[in-house]
Amino acid sequence: MERFVYPFSAIVGQDKMKLALILNAIHPAIGGVLIRGEKGTGKSTAVRALARLLPELAVVADCPYRCDPDAPEALCSDCQDRVAGGEALPRGRRRMRVVELPINASEDRVVGAIDIEAAIKSGERRFEPGVLAEANRNILYVDEVNLLDDHLVDVLLDAAAMGVNVVEREGISIWHPARFILVGTMNPEEGDLRPQLLDRFGLTVDVEGIKDIGQRVQIVERREEWESDPASFSQRFADQDAEIGTRIAEAIVRFPHVVMPAGILRALAELNVSLQVDGHRADLVGRKASQALAAYRGVPEVGVPEVNEVADMVLAHRVKAGGRRELGSVTQSLPSASRASRSS
Amino acid sequence: MPFELTLPFSAIVGQEQMKKALLLNAIDPAIGGVLIRGDRGTAKSSAVRALGRLLPDYEAVDQCPYRCDPAIPSRYCDECRRRANSGRLPVVRLPMRIVELPINASEDRLVGSIDIEAAVRAGTRRFQPGVLAEANRNLLYVDEVNLLDDHLVDVLLDAAAMGINVVEREGMSVTHPAHFILVGTMNPEEGELRPQLLDRFGLCVEVTTPTDIDQRLRVMELEREFLDNPQAVHRTAAPRELELYDRLQAATTRLDLVQLPDAIRSLIARLCLDGSVAGHRADLVVARTARAICALRGAALVELADVLEALELALAHRRRDAATDKPEQAQELASRAAEQLAQIQATTPTETAEAARGEATQQEGASGGESNEGWTTAEARESPSTEAVDVEPDTVIQLRTFAVKKLDLPRERQARRAAGKRTSTKSETKRGRYVRSSQTEKVTDVAFDATVRAAAPHQLRRRQATPDAPNQLQLESQDLRQKVRERKTGNLIVFVVDASASMDAEQRMQATKGAILSLLRHAYVRRDKVALVAFSGRNARVALRPTSSVDLAERRLERLNIGGTTPLTHGLMTALKLIKTERLRDPRVYPLLVLISDGRGNISLFGEEPLLEAQRTASQIKQEGIRAMVIDSTRDFSSQPGYPRNRVTSLYGAYAFNVCGDLAERLGGRYYGLFDLSQSAIVDSVQREMLRTGSA
Repeated sequence: MERFVYPFSAIVGQDKMKLALILNAIHPAIGGVLIRGEKGTGKSTAVRALARLLPELAVVADCPYRCDPDAPEALCSDCQDRVAGGEALPRGRRRMRVVELPINASEDRVVGAIDIEAAIKSGERRFEPGVLAEANRNILYVDEVNLLDDHLVDVLLDAAAMGVNVVEREGISIWHPARFILVGTMNPEEGDLRPQLLDRFGLTVDVEGIKDIGQRVQIVERREEWESDPASFSQRFADQDAEIGTRIAEAIVRFPHVVMPAGILRALAELNVSLQVDGHRADLVGRKASQALAAYRGVPEVGVPEVNEVADMVLAHRVKAGGRRELGSVTQSLPSASRASRSS
Repeated sequence: MPFELTLPFSAIVGQEQMKKALLLNAIDPAIGGVLIRGDRGTAKSSAVRALGRLLPDYEAVDQCPYRCDPAIPSRYCDECRRRANSGRLPVVRLPMRIVELPINASEDRLVGSIDIEAAVRAGTRRFQPGVLAEANRNLLYVDEVNLLDDHLVDVLLDAAAMGINVVEREGMSVTHPAHFILVGTMNPEEGELRPQLLDRFGLCVEVTTPTDIDQRLRVMELEREFLDNPQAVHRTAAPRELELYDRLQAATTRLDLVQLPDAIRSLIARLCLDGSVAGHRADLVVARTARAICALRGAALVELADVLEALELALAHRRRDAATDKPEQAQELASRAAEQLAQIQATTPTETAEAARGEATQQEGASGGESNEGWTTAEARESPSTEAVDVEPDTVIQLRTFAVKKLDLPRERQARRAAGKRTSTKSETKRGRYVRSSQTEKVTDVAFDATVRAAAPHQLRRRQATPDAPNQLQLESQDLRQKVRERKTGNLIVFVVDASASMDAEQRMQATKGAILSLLRHAYVRRDKVALVAFSGRNARVALRPTSSVDLAERRLERLNIGGTTPLTHGLMTALKLIKTERLRDPRVYPLLVLISDGRGNISLFGEEPLLEAQRTASQIKQEGIRAMVIDSTRDFSSQPGYPRNRVTSLYGAYAFNVCGDLAERLGGRYYGLFDLSQSAIVDSVQREMLRTGSA
């Protein structure tokens, strides 16, 4: 029995946010999205809806961390031991899920803790996986991420950085893979995010309430329809949803074959140097996001339009206060920069 | 740790200094580790983890949980000592490895604790070694080391200083060796490291993002390849990795043969004194590092260039003065060192030592004066308002840079000392991180793991007493342990700023804005919050909700307009409301109200005489137990504590009295004049205020 989820294609407007989510679905290594905006702009609806569109993943059927049987280097220690022992890992397929990290979560639930039942009943020291384990190869969704307790942010940072959760607590010493698409939402009015965590998000999008009257009316109408009869509403959008799903699946296949011209890469790096962005992450995310966009659009080569379209999402949260004002002008100068370097 | 997930060491693009520092530590663990500071996303953690594949082997006692070195009997663990008495110890070769201490670690895993399984099942009291035991003779890596809990830092420091870990808990008494190479990475934006911990690191490197386009392109290319096919990247890099590994092994064996000439030895002593560094650790580290550098390059005699390189790595975090222009400094140092070396070689050793000592005292005097500059109020008082006048009136960017630069270095030291004590409070609500457990009379927040550990040794006996439930853990009330949680609660500094027309004069507003922004920079590092209430015209408004975001504050400050009348009471009431709300949200917050005004309130809130209202509100704020201070924007006399404040007796004569001084008294806070305090002095007084009341 599957619960109904509001269809992705039925979400009115908010194209930037939808695009950012899709790009991450195509290439999870982009590193997630931070959605900044007011309440009630369809943020969580979009995230949940997206998860349903994603193609299934190959997993090790009985592994609590859903290891990828085709990526031997990213297996958890148990699966590694099993492979080393000559066992053929049982394969299964799983849909990606949205795992929520509530902001009042306790640290032991996030990183995992000692299994109290086992400890009390038989004195066995066993690990009870936490949210980070559940999030492996899924979407980790943090609503109001800016209100997350500092120590949880630290833990999250640590895990997100290496894709591994190392646990040394309550008598337990263990590590397991923790690679996830980090999706966070925040309302900037309620305080900002620490720069370090901010940088962990591959992309940011700013969403606003829709101003267009026609669209607003449409939102309310659809919502009402949905609430009165979710089954037929979902049915109505099933085709469109399926189409997006197919496009994503195709883009995933196409992604590695999309050509990234050297001139574009150079222009990207030059842009980031000129904006004095710290670290390499802006370069790396910029490359991956524009490549994913090209794959989604079905073009064989990344061009200036793709870079331009993702530049905002990549850079909005990485450019420091002084530089933000210049962002507009530099983005405009990008086409000429890339042309110049291509001709050279 | 799954090292297959990390890049090969030799594939990492650029960051030569960082890679070198890591390699040197692998050659000679006695160098004492390395701290890598730098921007986010500069391959810090990748490099450390990649080093794991290159670390050399060492000889260890077989079957020893601490891998004792058979060649050094003085460092044997108890078990090895016992075994050594009864015969020769069996020896195995083990690879040195990286042991990670995650910042979410709990104390029992760091130091080790009782083995629950053994205790419950067999009733034996056995020690389960912790991270420190694993780290013995290995490399202990702490990512985001500046975020590590203070309590864990203490334990770590203790062990690092003595080279042993002493465990006294759960009825066990264990001592084992804990010699490790400490490697930490951190992003200074997230907070500074305690000086004691800083000094523990032998070397320190700063990494920055390269601006060279070609290098950045190579990084992008590498990442793509690695994501596509990590095995292929490892295969391609394999020959270079092997070569590097061989070089390291060769350097390790050569290390003992490397000679340190006497002249070089005294040069090092001199240069360390020149660098005005505290303690002798620097001399030792520089000498060892220079030898390792020499060994790595394959030579047998340490030369001047080796020393210079070592100096750069070893002194960066030990210098008392700020590191200024790097390349220029290095140039100058090189030529000076060459000169000195020539001198040393020409003179006799005793004279050299004396000369060096003389020079050193001079140097120290000079740098001591420098580091004091800008933060003693005494000095600020001597040159009043120079900084306020320096400001260009209309550019916010400039405002920010001057304020921050002036404050950055000397401030931090004081700020941290304050922060260490005050900001992390033991939280009684069930929030915050669980750091350790304790025994209390009434247990409200059960620490299960600790409870089970406490009960474990008694299981056998208790089971015998009640034979009908043989497999269940039997708890008694004395086993119960309480979780000790720690939660960082920052200060809340609420600025109540007069934005009336009178503040326009003499750039008072500029001075105020600069001060707020500077405070904010430090507030972020300490997780303090700053809020801003501005009052002018007919009302007061919260210009900035409690935040620790520098960006947001800057934008709001920029927009702060000046003009109109002075509704002082409105301002105070708004601030009071704001603090009360914040207190509801978090009862442990420490508020400090900073009023910056000329005190000439002329708009009434409740329909009474404005001044009287303000006075009454001030008393109310004091009753609420909110700490406060008043900065008078008009007066330029000194703010000695004993300054006589006039009590207002007549309402009509208000202008002749010191209104702000009176308000300060009613608020129970201190009184300062804006113009005897430069901006840095404002920040200082706020921080002193925090300290004063924080410790009380």
